[in-house]
Amino acid sequence: MTGPPTPPRRARRALRHLPLVVWLWFLWILLWGSTGSTGPVVLVGGLLVAVAVVLSFPLPPLQPGAVPRPLRIARLLAHVCTEIVGAGAAVAWQALRHGRRTSTAIIEIPLRVDTDLLITLVAEVVTISPGTVVTEIDRRRGVLYVHALPTRDEQDVARRRDEVRAVERRVARAVGHSHRADAQEPGSGERDGREQQFREGER
Amino acid sequence: MTVLRDVVTAVLLPAGAVFCLLGAVGLHRFPDTVSRLHAAAKAQTLGVLLILVGAAAQMSLRHAPVLLLVALFQLFTVPITSQIIARTAYRTHGLDRDRLLRDDLADRLARDGTPVEAEDGAGRDDDAER
Repeated sequence: MTGPPTPPRRARRALRHLPLVVWLWFLWILLWGSTGSTGPVVLVGGLLVAVAVVLSFPLPPLQPGAVPRPLRIARLLAHVCTEIVGAGAAVAWQALRHGRRTSTAIIEIPLRVDTDLLITLVAEVVTISPGTVVTEIDRRRGVLYVHALPTRDEQDVARRRDEVRAVERRVARAVGHSHRADAQEPGSGERDGREQQFREGER
Repeated sequence: MTVLRDVVTAVLLPAGAVFCLLGAVGLHRFPDTVSRLHAAAKAQTLGVLLILVGAAAQMSLRHAPVLLLVALFQLFTVPITSQIIARTAYRTHGLDRDRLLRDDLADRLARDGTPVEAEDGAGRDDDAER
């Protein structure tokens, strides 16, 4: 928006699109599945389609300054896998044991992370985790409203809140984004007010 | 080696089927839409993943990436649809609110001046029709 892009900037922008192009190309080749006689056609065609898609539907930069940490991401994935197993078992047990009489709650959970990417990831992982489904994402305030399935008392509510916070921490670490720094942004004053309000609501 | 593969498949495929079945049971037994989502989003996903792994054990390594892709897209898309359905269900009274231990979202919406209670009359009408 600020004047015509200078060559290095254009190069950087092209570089930013590179992972997406490579991913789409990879998908295309994978889904065609054959690298026999039609191999070259698939390869070239895939590259053309990937570039065309990226050029015609440009996405905004995901998160400037994010440094993905492979080890942390692997740990997050492992965590998600164990969560899914636990989630499946827990929900299945609830369905069998309590069914109609199960007790639920909608819990407000203020997030510390404040970027689209991180909030999306946190919401995704929370929804896969045992007993929690994100009902509403308040993007402006950075609050998740989570529907928690077996919730019997206030202790369960507190436990759920801690679980979501733990997920948030894991995700923030995996994307290389310290949410501690985030919490001390200029907007944190308003956010403290929200926390206070939130605590009042608990009483 | 084939024995090991067969054992893996023999364990994982029925386990996956059981979880899919339990997801269906949850869908039937849970009281409202959002609770049912728990069954659909979790038990079901686990079932599908187990079946995929079980199937992958029987196939040549060449097909493994495609199955991995199926699993990946499951993991990414299921939470998104769940969230959209949950949000819609909340606002269209697909949620049995008397059953909730607490409802922070209702408090927030009331504070914002956009309570869902405004539609409560409609909800009651629905009940009357039943």
